[in-house]
Amino acid sequence: MQARRHASADDHHGIDLAPMLDFVLNLLIFFIIITSFVKQAGVKVDKEQALTAESRASGNILIAVRPNGEVWMDRKKVSLPEVRALVERMHAERPEDTVVILADKMSETGVMAQVMNQVHAGGIQSVSVATRGQGG
Amino acid sequence: MRLRHRRQHSEEMDGEAIDLAPMLDFVLNLLIFFIITAVFVKEIGLALNTPPPAPPNQKQQEDDHGTLFIAVHKNGDVSIDQRLVDPEAVRANVERFRGEKPEGPVIVVANIKAPTGLVVKVMDQARLGGALNVLLQPTASKK
Repeated sequence: MQARRHASADDHHGIDLAPMLDFVLNLLIFFIIITSFVKQAGVKVDKEQALTAESRASGNILIAVRPNGEVWMDRKKVSLPEVRALVERMHAERPEDTVVILADKMSETGVMAQVMNQVHAGGIQSVSVATRGQGG
Repeated sequence: MRLRHRRQHSEEMDGEAIDLAPMLDFVLNLLIFFIITAVFVKEIGLALNTPPPAPPNQKQQEDDHGTLFIAVHKNGDVSIDQRLVDPEAVRANVERFRGEKPEGPVIVVANIKAPTGLVVKVMDQARLGGALNVLLQPTASKK
């Protein structure tokens, strides 16, 4: 009853959208920030299962090593010296970032070791190798 | 009509807001776009640490007594102290070693041609055996 009277009084104004807009803008900013944080590798690899795997708080630079020895980073195929340059730049942008190497289980350990050395040379000491958890 | 209406509003300065609906539409579209493109990556993994740079030979030999070396060869063999072991048996070996020397480091010496999956499995087994800090040392040896 009261609601109907209200609607007839100012029907061309509609409800106040400002609080909703505030909320939606916050959500928007959240998602914009999230998308720029994680540096995807860009390829899919088959990871080995490990029971003692632990999640890193901020493992957000992903470097993939494919079975044929290709190294992918930031959705591009890169060479080993480029890994160092890219890691240096990302480290300068966000010093708290850590690196996760997505090494395919059929890839050679040497490539992973070289990538690890390049990452260390690029200034990031915290490196881990990605695994599947118990379930997957 | 519309203009006059608006002007009237601004003259009044009565806190009546402008129409936010078009902006809200636009912002909602942006929001949907970013939700769709957002990827939530939750990678789990094992920490990769290498042993400190090789000390002089003499010191190396002293250290060897308290260190368990697990070798992973390029043909997929795993050996401890020149003795071939099953990858699944690494855990038991590490547990025994930990019983003797609780503080001794465990170093996985992996041939650079060895498959990464096997190295990860051995490191996982060593961690299951209670080794807190498993170090990975790549080697280019022939075996």
